[in-house]
Amino acid sequence: MNKKKKVNIGLIVSIAITSFVLGLTMVIQFKTVTETDITGMEVMSEASLRKSYDKYKEEYDYYTQEIDKTAQRIEEFQNEINENNDISELLSREVSEAKTIAGYTDVTGQGIEVTLKDTDNKQITVEDILSLIDELKLAGAEAISINNQRIVALTDFSSVNYKFIYVNTANDLITSRISSPYVIKAIGNQKYLESSINIKYGFLDNMKNSGKDASYILNDNVMIPKYGDMTEYKYASEIDE
Amino acid sequence: MVYIAIIIGCLVGALVGLNAPIVSYTYSNYLAIAIIAALDSVFGGVVATIKKNFDLKIFLTGFFGNAILSILLAILGEKLNVDIYLAAIIVFVGRMFTNLAIIRRYYLEKWTNMVEKRKNKKEDKKETKE
Repeated sequence: MNKKKKVNIGLIVSIAITSFVLGLTMVIQFKTVTETDITGMEVMSEASLRKSYDKYKEEYDYYTQEIDKTAQRIEEFQNEINENNDISELLSREVSEAKTIAGYTDVTGQGIEVTLKDTDNKQITVEDILSLIDELKLAGAEAISINNQRIVALTDFSSVNYKFIYVNTANDLITSRISSPYVIKAIGNQKYLESSINIKYGFLDNMKNSGKDASYILNDNVMIPKYGDMTEYKYASEIDE
Repeated sequence: MVYIAIIIGCLVGALVGLNAPIVSYTYSNYLAIAIIAALDSVFGGVVATIKKNFDLKIFLTGFFGNAILSILLAILGEKLNVDIYLAAIIVFVGRMFTNLAIIRRYYLEKWTNMVEKRKNKKEDKKETKE
């Protein structure tokens, strides 16, 4: 009887322990399964993390390829643009021509160098210089400078008290003051230029008659500098035709 | 007494489990297999009691041993890249169904016997009245 009771107690305790373990594990498992969706990434299994890693890696590779493709396409377009550069070349040539005409480039070529000097009795006036420049322009001078000051459309001449002559004051007032001897360089057809000032009752005759010193030399390699700074039109704007 | 122990054990286990931290989803696979192995042992124990050859030692070793072994096999399967846990589930659940069938037949037999006995008693009573 006593022995039977002892066995019973052991049985009951061991069965209670097993049922305790079973209940515990089952509830834990239920909780895990139900809360996995809520907790999401934190309890995500290694395998699924690896899977999503692979997925993102694939996506990354795909988009990297796309970037490469796009870069290639851009390169192709660039090449096409470079190939179809007839128009841009034309435009840049036009721009450089316009710059040359406007006097924004150093130019060289055959031409004439006229030197006007003050004498003891007579001074060279602005009018003399202007008439010479007009003569040279009429003779087809492509570029003219006076004492290395380029004559452009903006060029102004002014004299103060018939004593000081200023050229290109818009550019720089200090460097614009010129004095004797005045060296006027012009690029163009040498024959035309020479004859235009050398003509009977022409410029040189007038100068000599009025007792002023004027001489010229022909130069096959006249250097004319560009107009000082790039002139900026502050108030004038282009008119579209 | 045994049924009370089972109920109390399950309830206490459930209460503790509610306050216990949850397992990482990676290891919940192994826990599930352990639970299935344990349930298999429980049904096996029930069948043994019905057949009157229940042994506590066999039950306890089967309960914990099967659970631990199934976990170890599942881990091994993970390492070998073979789903061994599927085999464990098939074996345990298959055995659970056979055990359940034995239990069902036993209680069905018991019930039919009881019904027949009552019928016999009623008939006996009628006969004695007459």
